[in-house]
Amino acid sequence: MIKKATSAAAAAAATALLLTACTGGPSDSTGGAGDDPVAGGTVHMLQNADFSYLDPARGFDGGVNAFYRLIYRGLTMQAAGDAEDPNAIVPDLAESLGTASEDGLTWTYTLKDGLKFDNGDPITAAEVEFGISRAWDPEIGIGSPWLKQTVDAPEDYAGPYQSGDHPGIETPDEHTIVFHLIEPFPEFDNVLAQPNAVPFPVGSGAGDEFINDVIASGPYTLDTYTPGSLIKLVRNEHWDADTDDVRKAYPDAWEFEIGLEAATIDERLLAGQGTDVNAIAGKIQAATLPRVQTPELQDRLIASPAFCTTYMGMNTTKAPFDQVEVRQAVNYALDRASIQTASGGTQLADPATTIIPTAVSGHKDFDLYPSEDYAGDPAKALELLAEVGLEDGFSFVLDIRAQPSMQAQAEAVQEALKAINVEVELNVIDTSTYYETIGTPSQQSDAAITGWCPDWASSASTMVPPLVDGRLITEKGNTNLAQLDDAAVNARIDEIKAIADLAEANVQWGEFDEEVMALAPMAPLVLEKGLFLPGANIAGYHPSTSMTDLAIIGLKDPSQG
Amino acid sequence: MTFTPTELEVEGAQGGEAARDNAPPSPPASGRRLARAFLKDRAALACSVYILLVLLMALAAPLIVKLSGWGPYEFDQSAVDPDMAGLPLGAAGGMGAEHWFGVEPGSGRDIFARIVYGARVSMTIALSATVLTSVLGVVFGLTAGYFGGKVDMVVSRVMEFLMAFPALIFMIAVLSALPAENRQFLLVGVISFFGWPYLARIVRGQTMSLKEREFVEAAKASGASSGQIIFKEILPNLASTIIVMTTLAVPGYVGTEAGLSFLGVGVVPPTPSWGQMIASSVPWYAVDPAYFLIPGACLFLLVLSFTVLGDRIRRLAETGGARA
Repeated sequence: MIKKATSAAAAAAATALLLTACTGGPSDSTGGAGDDPVAGGTVHMLQNADFSYLDPARGFDGGVNAFYRLIYRGLTMQAAGDAEDPNAIVPDLAESLGTASEDGLTWTYTLKDGLKFDNGDPITAAEVEFGISRAWDPEIGIGSPWLKQTVDAPEDYAGPYQSGDHPGIETPDEHTIVFHLIEPFPEFDNVLAQPNAVPFPVGSGAGDEFINDVIASGPYTLDTYTPGSLIKLVRNEHWDADTDDVRKAYPDAWEFEIGLEAATIDERLLAGQGTDVNAIAGKIQAATLPRVQTPELQDRLIASPAFCTTYMGMNTTKAPFDQVEVRQAVNYALDRASIQTASGGTQLADPATTIIPTAVSGHKDFDLYPSEDYAGDPAKALELLAEVGLEDGFSFVLDIRAQPSMQAQAEAVQEALKAINVEVELNVIDTSTYYETIGTPSQQSDAAITGWCPDWASSASTMVPPLVDGRLITEKGNTNLAQLDDAAVNARIDEIKAIADLAEANVQWGEFDEEVMALAPMAPLVLEKGLFLPGANIAGYHPSTSMTDLAIIGLKDPSQG
Repeated sequence: MTFTPTELEVEGAQGGEAARDNAPPSPPASGRRLARAFLKDRAALACSVYILLVLLMALAAPLIVKLSGWGPYEFDQSAVDPDMAGLPLGAAGGMGAEHWFGVEPGSGRDIFARIVYGARVSMTIALSATVLTSVLGVVFGLTAGYFGGKVDMVVSRVMEFLMAFPALIFMIAVLSALPAENRQFLLVGVISFFGWPYLARIVRGQTMSLKEREFVEAAKASGASSGQIIFKEILPNLASTIIVMTTLAVPGYVGTEAGLSFLGVGVVPPTPSWGQMIASSVPWYAVDPAYFLIPGACLFLLVLSFTVLGDRIRRLAETGGARA
């Protein structure tokens, strides 16, 4: 599901490592037309695709997660986009992060005082429990899977509308909420920062109630919603800034303009006329890059590192990819420099040699299949192929999405592998059915190019395991494209997941990444970075290729535009 | 991209009627006179030269790219600027002695080589589809027109159904649902499936009027079989109509192939196709207009050439070369 966040339009997203712009903190604010955001005005967001769902129990991708941050609050949340460690998890509705019991199976949270919904009703432990239990509803709970995977519930529990109160969540008093887990999960604070762990008034939101309207707990609430064209948010009068340490909520309103062509969005941002000085959008297209070289536009341009890895999964159940030498040879032979250029060049992509992207905690820098300037080492690859008697080459079918950038990458792969006599046949699959096809082992071909992003960037536990854990291979919605089922790998995953010290666990995930790459179930291709071009009047913007923190954005001068 | 009957086709139908009134049943003019008239027509000549050039390009593609030095799939990383999103280095999209028509942004593939190979795709698909639709159209048109009655009713209803069908939408749906292998055959099949009724309808109409003529009656009276009458008496009299209609159909199919490739359901990458090149050049229009202009101009000229040529041939056929 989260893979879809890599599609161009949804890339409008969060936790940024701040690279440029927005100098200094609040201390050197001079007021007036300074570089810091001030309260008031309307921020415009230009985007191509509509948000998947307004209901946070249903939606789950980078773009909509960023949007939820404006209207919903959870017990915990990802830190502000300008924080020292934007990947960190901080308390939101809760006074502090959770306290785990000795055995790691019980997590307790205490709510802050003075929390209210947009209708003025108070938010208590009962509302939090109710909102969270919606994730178990078979129809509604199609978003983030983490709650269901960690919180203990009877097999037949089917959400609050059908089965009543959640047996695994206790609310001893109005301010306390206790979770019972299936097994120890040291990163449980991350689970509660997922978009579907938000409170709702008890009894609300059944069926399609939240498809066109919402009950907000965050600083904004829905004013108008025209599916496919416009979402307008206005201030939630009942949101109390004193209870919220992260969200700044500078602008008075937000307008999401939906259904615009990517090229149109770039043109409007380049021109920056009218209200477009107050506009932001997802990352710019590669073809726009040569046009942003003027000093004025360079000043506005903000870069964000990649949180996703674009890789080619090789199906280890099919010959010849069942032989590790062949998979290693492919890794050696790939010309990652040409794939990088095909993905938009040095400013928009970096060659990837690891599964964990640089910006995700736990990344370890290594390159098991080195070559000069990442241009590939066909000689070494041919040596490996000769070991298994395939020096005359072979051919395989590569699944790709009918999308220009992915086709360009696939063509670069195809061209590079010609050097080792490997013929690649491209199987172009329609974008809407692509993930369904490659996620169904009976339908997937020999290899596929896709992207993978972690569900939270503070640890690599959601980055590598879903791609290589043999026990996760399912008939549908499979994420282990390589279908690697290696006992040692599976055992190692369990071992690292049990480490309670998260810093130590991250070091181990880095090691694990290298161990997995020795088996080469996939060939990491590129890390696709983002360049963002906000309007000239935007301040406090820390865009991210994963999820942009919209809650800290504001205007320099609200009277403009 | 769609198969709406053009003004020309409607005229063609009427032209056939007109021809019956003032032309003798034998071929109206000698081949030599027509050829002479054709050679005097500069526009028709220029169009033919361009079409022949494209055909030659398509036939001799491997030789031509050997001459130019770059294959259609070869990446040239030295011709693009990786710091600038892969924009071709140099003026006009990297045109020069090395790459005659410049290079593709991102990959640095030679545009000249891709145009040459793209001509193969365009011509193969358009010409095969034309041949197939002509055969289908003539066979069904003749059958329906000559036999009339129930045969005519069935064929006519099928034609009406196909002509009323939203062909483009159906083609996109079918092509994206079917597996990608042998895309070229599929394209020809799908295009022909929706293309033949336009010719068949005109052939049917003309056949219906021809079969009432004296020479057909005479043949019938002297004991000729249906097959003999159809192929020896009626078909020769349809020749000019069929030639005109097929020449006019080619540009439509060239456009349809390009359109389907543009929409992403045409030939599978990395096979070059003009429509696909135009589609991928769209985001680059502002910084690399040459990338858009070259395949655009090639496609435009090809469609224009076939259209003009078809129009001229029609006029020649009607007037018998008296005035061109």
